[in-house]
Amino acid sequence: MKLTRLPQAAAGAAAVSLMLLTAACGSDDSSSEASSEATSASPSAEATQDATDAAPDTGATGAYKAGDYDAEGSYQTPGGTQSVEVEVTLEADGTITAVEVDPQAEGGNSEMFQKKFAGGISEVVVGKKIDELDVSKVAGSSLTSGGFNAAIEDITGQAQA
Amino acid sequence: MHTWGFETLGTAWQVDTATPLGEASRERVRERVEQYDRDWSRFRTDGPVAELARHGRAALADEADDLLGVYTTLHRLTDGAMNPLVGGSLERLGYDPAYSLQPSGEPVAAPSWDAATWTPPVLEAPPATVLDVGAAGKGHLVDLVTDLLLADGVDVVTVDGSGDLRHVAGEPLRVALEHPDDSSLAVGVIELDPGRALCASATNRRAWGDGLHHVLDARTGTPTRDVAATWVVAERALAADALATALFLAPADRLAEAFDFSALVITADGRAAVHGDLTGELFS
Repeated sequence: MKLTRLPQAAAGAAAVSLMLLTAACGSDDSSSEASSEATSASPSAEATQDATDAAPDTGATGAYKAGDYDAEGSYQTPGGTQSVEVEVTLEADGTITAVEVDPQAEGGNSEMFQKKFAGGISEVVVGKKIDELDVSKVAGSSLTSGGFNAAIEDITGQAQA
Repeated sequence: MHTWGFETLGTAWQVDTATPLGEASRERVRERVEQYDRDWSRFRTDGPVAELARHGRAALADEADDLLGVYTTLHRLTDGAMNPLVGGSLERLGYDPAYSLQPSGEPVAAPSWDAATWTPPVLEAPPATVLDVGAAGKGHLVDLVTDLLLADGVDVVTVDGSGDLRHVAGEPLRVALEHPDDSSLAVGVIELDPGRALCASATNRRAWGDGLHHVLDARTGTPTRDVAATWVVAERALAADALATALFLAPADRLAEAFDFSALVITADGRAAVHGDLTGELFS
């Protein structure tokens, strides 16, 4: 993850802005207290998965310096590295009053999905045990035929031999 | 409600009805499924698909116009990325009748669909062209089985072809959406109203090697990379199934130019994007 600070942002705010990016990203694992607080203040914020890994174990409390902060997060997809630029406006009490997300990807489906993400539609999904859900059916990839599965097992066996 | 489950062509089907399904209807369903396999499977050497590959022309089954019509529209909306002539590209990567699952060379693009000639019931294409309707065939067959049962006067509730399904009547159906990385998990639940179909596509299971799976960009013959799984709700399963694949190749907004549908797309980095109105919940 790359972080840059806008010129008007105060000195010493780098750690704060890093924490804010984590918050703005609404990481699926809101392990840090600061992250949880900030997330609740920025309902439109969304996640990059790498944000969690990149975030320091932040103990930042109080003393927020008001201003605009700019951060660029990147994450890996099978299609390569994708990046998202996030701009946040921070009040002195730590409240985020504006979040702007600027998709960086060019071309392909990533551009489209980042636009949706920028539109506030996209969310990082988590799994729940199907056994514990009240459902009648499951829809997914499990329509794979027996022949294919047998061939895959054969290849897996060869690879281990 | 009464449930009839059966195995055919290596996958499990289930038909739910309000009253028990008679043996005559069961037999007609089995025959319909097997006939579809004869008419459309590229893994058979005795059908029209093999004939097309050998002679560059073949007479297709009655339902071909519906199926190829959907492909033609999606070919246009995906700028050629979706193409029913992609069978040779799949074989090159190892997804062949023998399930060799070993690439036999560099990826090859599919022959141009625009260059093929469809004069019902005859399809003409360059020799060695391998027709592959895998992107929409299962949903199409769910529709055909549903229509057959309805024509028989059967009080159909749901027809489920291994996760591609038509919910015909009764209460809304709660369907778990299988997590693309772990089949014991769901990423959400959709409540499917009667009169709607739900089809899914994912690249995780039918994958056989480093980045090799069954959803290809026909223009290059290479597997797609940005999308992990899709679910589509539409009136009929044919469109829902075809759109579930097309969403790997084009944005939902583009496909909405020609189709009325709702969809959930999970990207390779674990994000969900929703198109249209879906009832249910997404776990996030």
